[in-house]
Amino acid sequence: MVDYPVHSHDLVIIGGGLTGLRAAIESSKADFDVAVVSKVHPLRSHSVAAQGGINAALANAVGGEDDSWERHAFDTVKGSDYLADQDAVEIMCKEAPRAVIELEHMGTVFSRMKDGRIAQRPFGGAGFPRTCYAADRTGHNLLHTLFEQANSRDITIYPEYYVTSLVKDGGRCVGCTALNIADGTLHGFAAKAVLQATGGYGHLFARSTNALINTGDGAALAYRAGVLLEDMEFVQFHPTTLYGTNILITEGARGEGGYLYNNKHERFMKNYAPKAMELAPRDIVARAIQTEIDERRGFEGEYVHLDLTHLGADKINQRLPGIRLISMDFAGIDPIAEPISVQPGQHYSMGGIAVNTKGETELTGLYAAGECSCVSVHGANRLGGNSLLETVVFGKLVGGEIAQKLPSISKPSTEPLKEACRKESERIDKLLLREEGERVSNIREELRKMMFDHFGVFRDEKTMKEGLEKLHMLQKRFSNAYIDNKDLVFNYTLIYTLELEGMLLIAEALALGAIERRESRGSHFRTDYPKRDDEKFLVHTMAYYRDGKTELEYAPVTLGIFPVKERVY
Amino acid sequence: MKMKVFRYDKETQKPRYDVFEIEPTPGMTVLGALFYIRNNLDDTLSFRYSCRGAVCGICAVQINNVPRLACRTQINSLLEGTAEINLRNYPVEVKEKWDPREEVLVEPLPYFPIIKDLIVDKTRFFEFYNATKPVFKPADEPPKRERLMDPETVKELENYTNCILCAACVSSCPVNLKNPEYIGPAALAKLYRFHIDPREPRDDSRVLLMNNKTGWWGCEFHGNCRRVCPKGVPPIIAIGKARSRIDKIGKVPPEFSKK
Repeated sequence: MVDYPVHSHDLVIIGGGLTGLRAAIESSKADFDVAVVSKVHPLRSHSVAAQGGINAALANAVGGEDDSWERHAFDTVKGSDYLADQDAVEIMCKEAPRAVIELEHMGTVFSRMKDGRIAQRPFGGAGFPRTCYAADRTGHNLLHTLFEQANSRDITIYPEYYVTSLVKDGGRCVGCTALNIADGTLHGFAAKAVLQATGGYGHLFARSTNALINTGDGAALAYRAGVLLEDMEFVQFHPTTLYGTNILITEGARGEGGYLYNNKHERFMKNYAPKAMELAPRDIVARAIQTEIDERRGFEGEYVHLDLTHLGADKINQRLPGIRLISMDFAGIDPIAEPISVQPGQHYSMGGIAVNTKGETELTGLYAAGECSCVSVHGANRLGGNSLLETVVFGKLVGGEIAQKLPSISKPSTEPLKEACRKESERIDKLLLREEGERVSNIREELRKMMFDHFGVFRDEKTMKEGLEKLHMLQKRFSNAYIDNKDLVFNYTLIYTLELEGMLLIAEALALGAIERRESRGSHFRTDYPKRDDEKFLVHTMAYYRDGKTELEYAPVTLGIFPVKERVY
Repeated sequence: MKMKVFRYDKETQKPRYDVFEIEPTPGMTVLGALFYIRNNLDDTLSFRYSCRGAVCGICAVQINNVPRLACRTQINSLLEGTAEINLRNYPVEVKEKWDPREEVLVEPLPYFPIIKDLIVDKTRFFEFYNATKPVFKPADEPPKRERLMDPETVKELENYTNCILCAACVSSCPVNLKNPEYIGPAALAKLYRFHIDPREPRDDSRVLLMNNKTGWWGCEFHGNCRRVCPKGVPPIIAIGKARSRIDKIGKVPPEFSKK
């Protein structure tokens, strides 16, 4: 019998992006033995792709001198269409200035105002500059800074390990199993606590801005372990993704003064958000663009124009150099000379693993933070600049919470980990030993297209129910999925297949949540129920996985100082 | 067109080139073509990927004998000859013939040990990175608010903080390819980034850390690092400036002194 290696640590963090690294730094301060297990080297995490910035009421910028955490919180709650939990929003917005200053103190090179303070730019959903930035490469700069910090501490990193299951013992999470991608061996990770920081489920959808690795693995792991998924139907479609590849074109491009035009050279946002115009929140701008395209005012029936030419070469080169490079590299467009072709695309997962404000899930010993979690600071629609903020605020907070608890938790036995490895090995062998069947890539591409077509920017009951049926067909087809690649070394086709299995599972929670929510709120827009319905649906959707089936329940929203109002921009 | 792809696995230990016939769609990148192959023609092909938007640095491979990001290199521009990068004094010999008008040759980065197909072991690259002690060391206790920085200084710093650690530069550097001890352009650019950070002590300890042949003095100014960098980072300029600084403070090691 194979003797599976089991690595014991105090805390195992799954995911090496901003949340995972920030939590690792925090929890390792007290000399705990912390490990980060990640399916890519931490520097290749999707956090690196965040462009526009991180919100904090620093009150540095002209026009924002009287900014405060309360104003930030109000904008966040209003932006969320009142579905965000106001206690979580309060924590995040209060902590924001300290979090940004701390990143600066760790070495991040933020863009600066003339007087040397951190520069801020306007973003959607706020009327003035609040978003701190490092040109249009904010995520890159933050991730490299946090990696440098984590790398200089005594933190064990397991790069290119794909976590295949969470392991429970006596009703508590005691670790996980993971496939070492480099050689195909299964490993157990025993831990007093496990923190999931695994990112979003963007690649459930075609036309996603997300890295190819964002397949909702964390949500699937937790769901299978009996943990609730919250508000999965809330998926952010970013208004401006590059036509062709759907690479993100930051909201900062509009924050710096970019205009949106339809094929009549009309700044059409005046018809949708006459005050906020291009800087209305993302859900509103995305629907406006999609409407223009659907009503034949787009170009080639596919996109509208984002025009930066009036900003001039200097401003574009200084503030948006990455956008210029992306436009040139991936679309052959130089935004100094001509408008960029943009269309809405999936961008962010508001829903995720249900956690309280301490990052605790329902399963003792299992925590979650960042995009994979739903705490919920974003509610039905996230404001630009709040996702980077969530990663560092809750990464630190949850890392600290866990560190406080660790001394009172005893070391788990390694036996359940070995047992789990045996089971996982059987599951994977079954997949590898199948000698014929259907190519997984077909199923995966059909799933992504189906989700975009049936659960996209505009939704209605009929289309969604058809989508759910298609999903069931795809799930059935997966039981016959086949891969040629039997090699153990860097078998990314196997990883791709394991990802797909999880995607098919959590897609159901998303689909059911969307079908049952018979209202329009934030990113979830129902053409058959175009109004928000606070009486029935000012609640969080909670999906449970019981006996192989998804069931829904609802939980109240934590309200607070901001009364629920109509949302007008 | 044809993709000529390097293949290797530990079991057979016999490197070979597989040829795949594909119809490039407009804008198709080398990464897109690799996925097309894996999804439709041969799912045993191994390559790394993540952001597919030229920011994560994971997918650098050798394309037509030049190290570059697979996600940022378009098939058509290669065939049309509009994406050429001319390397200087590049010692990597072409092992497989290909016709650049009809074929794209994809191989693993040279310099690193090959593990499987296009996947290499980058351990050494991160050893070089770590050798520069790449973590911010401020000169003083943190103030209550942010430390102030001049926007012009930030601009200069951004030249180097833009590095995505893809290792294309190391793979294109003639010195790296002949001197296994040389820590190479990416690590030196990182070190220089900390040297010019005005929030760090102004004591030259950063430049003096690599005041030897494995560091600043190993460079021969071939300039390939700058040519292949997908982010426009100029390690060659950092190296030149670091040497000038060392010269100015009179710390040039005798073996590198012009006098």
